Amino acid sequence: MSGLKRWQKDSAWAALALLLLLALPLLDPSRVVVDFIIRLCAVGLLATSLNMLVGYGGMVSFGHAMFFGSGAYAFSLMLQKTAVSVPVALLTAVVFCGLLAAVIGAICVRLKGIYFSFLTLAFQMLLHSIIITWTGLTGGDQGLTGGIPRPVFIGIDLSKTQHVYMFSCVLAVVCLLVMRLLMQSPFGYTLRMLRDNEDRAAFLGINAWRVRLYAFILAGMFAGVGGVIMALFVSGAFPDFSYWTMSGEAVFMIMMGGIHVFTGPVLGAALLQIFNDTITRNTQYHGLALGLVILLFTLGFQRGITDVFKGWRKWLPAANKGGH
Amino acid sequence: MHDAIVGGAYAAQVAKEKNLKRWMTVSPDYAYGRDTTAEFMEYLKLFNPSIEIVGDVWPKLFQADYTEAITRLLQGKPQAIYSALWGGDLTSFIDQAGIYGLFNEREFFAVNMADYAVLTAVKNVPRGLHSGNRYLKSFPNTPANTNWSNAYQARFKDLPLNWAWQNAAAVQFLTSAMKKTNSADGKKMAAALRGMSIDSPFGSNGKLTMRAEDNTLVDYAVGWGSLEPKEPFMSKPSPGNWKQITELEVQWKKRKSYT
Amino acid sequence: MDLNALFECLGSMSCIVTQTSTGLIVGALLFLVAAGLTLIFGVLGVINFAHGSFYMLGAYVALSAYRITDNYALAAVAAGLGVGLFALVFERFFMRRVYKSDVLLQLLVCYAFILILDDVVKIVWGAEFQSMGMPKAFQQAPLFIGGGVVPVFYVYLMAAAGLIAGLLWFILTRTRAGKIIRAAAQNPGMTSALGLNTRLIYASVFAFGGLLAGLAGGLAAPVRSMSPGMGFSILIESFIVTVIGGMGSVSGALLGALLIGLIRSFGSIGFPLFVEGIMFLAMGLILVYKPSGLMGKGQS
Repeated sequence: MSGLKRWQKDSAWAALALLLLLALPLLDPSRVVVDFIIRLCAVGLLATSLNMLVGYGGMVSFGHAMFFGSGAYAFSLMLQKTAVSVPVALLTAVVFCGLLAAVIGAICVRLKGIYFSFLTLAFQMLLHSIIITWTGLTGGDQGLTGGIPRPVFIGIDLSKTQHVYMFSCVLAVVCLLVMRLLMQSPFGYTLRMLRDNEDRAAFLGINAWRVRLYAFILAGMFAGVGGVIMALFVSGAFPDFSYWTMSGEAVFMIMMGGIHVFTGPVLGAALLQIFNDTITRNTQYHGLALGLVILLFTLGFQRGITDVFKGWRKWLPAANKGGH
Repeated sequence: MHDAIVGGAYAAQVAKEKNLKRWMTVSPDYAYGRDTTAEFMEYLKLFNPSIEIVGDVWPKLFQADYTEAITRLLQGKPQAIYSALWGGDLTSFIDQAGIYGLFNEREFFAVNMADYAVLTAVKNVPRGLHSGNRYLKSFPNTPANTNWSNAYQARFKDLPLNWAWQNAAAVQFLTSAMKKTNSADGKKMAAALRGMSIDSPFGSNGKLTMRAEDNTLVDYAVGWGSLEPKEPFMSKPSPGNWKQITELEVQWKKRKSYT
Repeated sequence: MDLNALFECLGSMSCIVTQTSTGLIVGALLFLVAAGLTLIFGVLGVINFAHGSFYMLGAYVALSAYRITDNYALAAVAAGLGVGLFALVFERFFMRRVYKSDVLLQLLVCYAFILILDDVVKIVWGAEFQSMGMPKAFQQAPLFIGGGVVPVFYVYLMAAAGLIAGLLWFILTRTRAGKIIRAAAQNPGMTSALGLNTRLIYASVFAFGGLLAGLAGGLAAPVRSMSPGMGFSILIESFIVTVIGGMGSVSGALLGALLIGLIRSFGSIGFPLFVEGIMFLAMGLILVYKPSGLMGKGQS
């Protein structure tokens, strides 16, 4: 299967998914579904971008939420404090996350394994602490309040939920498609080689640090887009977006959905959201319930849902569809 | 805000009596801590211009170890210390500061001290401790208040806290509004609530009012006083004067362009 | 930033004494927790991300034990033993399954336990904060050394930490058990080939690490207020300590803990709002220039 055909297939899937999503409110106009999908767009981007590092890169970042938070804050602040348009604010937020990822990644990416995980966690907590202390800029522990001004752009009025929904879906699907194409490109394969056999990559003259840094930056930028969607959804930005539990949940989403399949993290995100919503409705012991579910997946199944299916697929005749 | 005005006035008075000129603050580093401390200090200086703030310490919220904060306070050699620490933080702080002898020969003003959760948790309430009231069954010293407190304890087996009286007051308002409008419609009730006054065990004169222009609760019993290690904890509270409070609040709002 | 205050302090004997003792106190507690963490990593190769929860459990167990027996020493010991026992069970039924797995699974298992333990603590002891109070024996005036103030309780705490450090050093370097532990850390395959029960070694080291954390929680209980979720900040700090000192090195943990303690105490005078930032900076610098830590063996 040549590279050209693959990207056409992926784009076709993306277009189909987008059409389905856009048609969904017509079938079921309830607010619950719309809200769920918008949140899923935000968190799904966080999880999938994280999987670029975890699944494809073998780097378990435990602080990825810092880019989610940065994206939300940068976007909201740009709109609150300056009179730029939404696309410009979006771009600024993404660039900011990229720069932040470049600086932090340059330090973290040199390390492996558990050191990498903890260093990213530490940086995230540092960012969180800055957000809480710099009350003048970020509103401190209360977050950015007062709502975000949403100037209309090319006919899209983001103060209407319908428009937010469509905007989020398009943004999410486009970003997912780009991430997919990146991971299927030579760059993506290099990343995987570094994960599987670093020495061999070194012999081929590949600069491990640089490739990993690029992956880190890209992952950070896409997480930032997720943050932007979240900011639109809640009309603000809050320190919790950059808290370690957000990262922890993202890591679990990936694990639960499956790290080896591209759409695994999104599935995991959806499942976790459903789970969270159900649990908080029924008991105050959310931590206990979530903890038990995590144990079930990590000790019981020891793999994610799509990973299980991926194993089965080998027995089907049309064996080489999608996946990697 | 109301607390700050009443507290500032009370503390200014105590400062005059005991000649407390050097003050330091130790409050948690987040919006509530910063704002509350700033407001208190503002009114303290307003009522007693000879006050001098020689230093401020800002531990993180829920920081477990206050040793550095305590040693910095010791170094500053203040005569009085103000704190907006609350709950577990305040308890830890007092326990830790106690063994450093921070409170020997110093007056400590902790706005959130007179709260049953803290009062029962801190095993040694130091002398020279002052606080604003959070919820005390002895203040206001009326049968209505005592009865409410006893009823609460009987039902929930716990002493009522700040949230308890606030929620009770809220429910009282809502039920009054419902009775008045004879409905549970939100808009009608909101209209009825505006400016409503009800009888309440928490009122400074037996009544609580929901101020019309900004939906703030006023006329509740607010006061400061020095604390003792056991019931009734605050035997001689200095209640706030609502006329004065309202005047100063209007000025504050103008300064912050809230009106 | 307040560099003037810092220089003033460095010029005054009383300030130096107070701040140094503060640093030592902060460091002593941190060392107890970090020692367990680094030991577990050194021998088992896993980061016990739930270590902060062990500390929290220790504090709560001590609280209950103190309420029952009214004896501080007993309460602290109970805390250590109780958590040690829990750690044993935790290792046997949960951690053991993920030793060979990806870091991802190990992290998630620990994360799950943090969530579960926080809620368990909430259920058993309530969500409101709890306080143990200072035992009568320590309710006395602080000592004045060189003009600086040092509370009596903290002197005992430092002594306890020093004793434990000494004990650890003795066990690890002078006893057969210590040799076995060190061997298992360096070469588990060979150790088991020599007929030594590595499973047992792993279990006991993990339990011992838990015991240390629980003991730390119990010892610190009189000056802390207990609430669910209190374990997290000490986890981050003890991790920073182990990174700076060197993963797997107990002496490194001691050095790192004291260093962090001193940074905190002097830093809070000179850079009051950036103390955390300085700690992270220190950790970052070590990771960049000497990733194996100050006392770690030289491999990056």
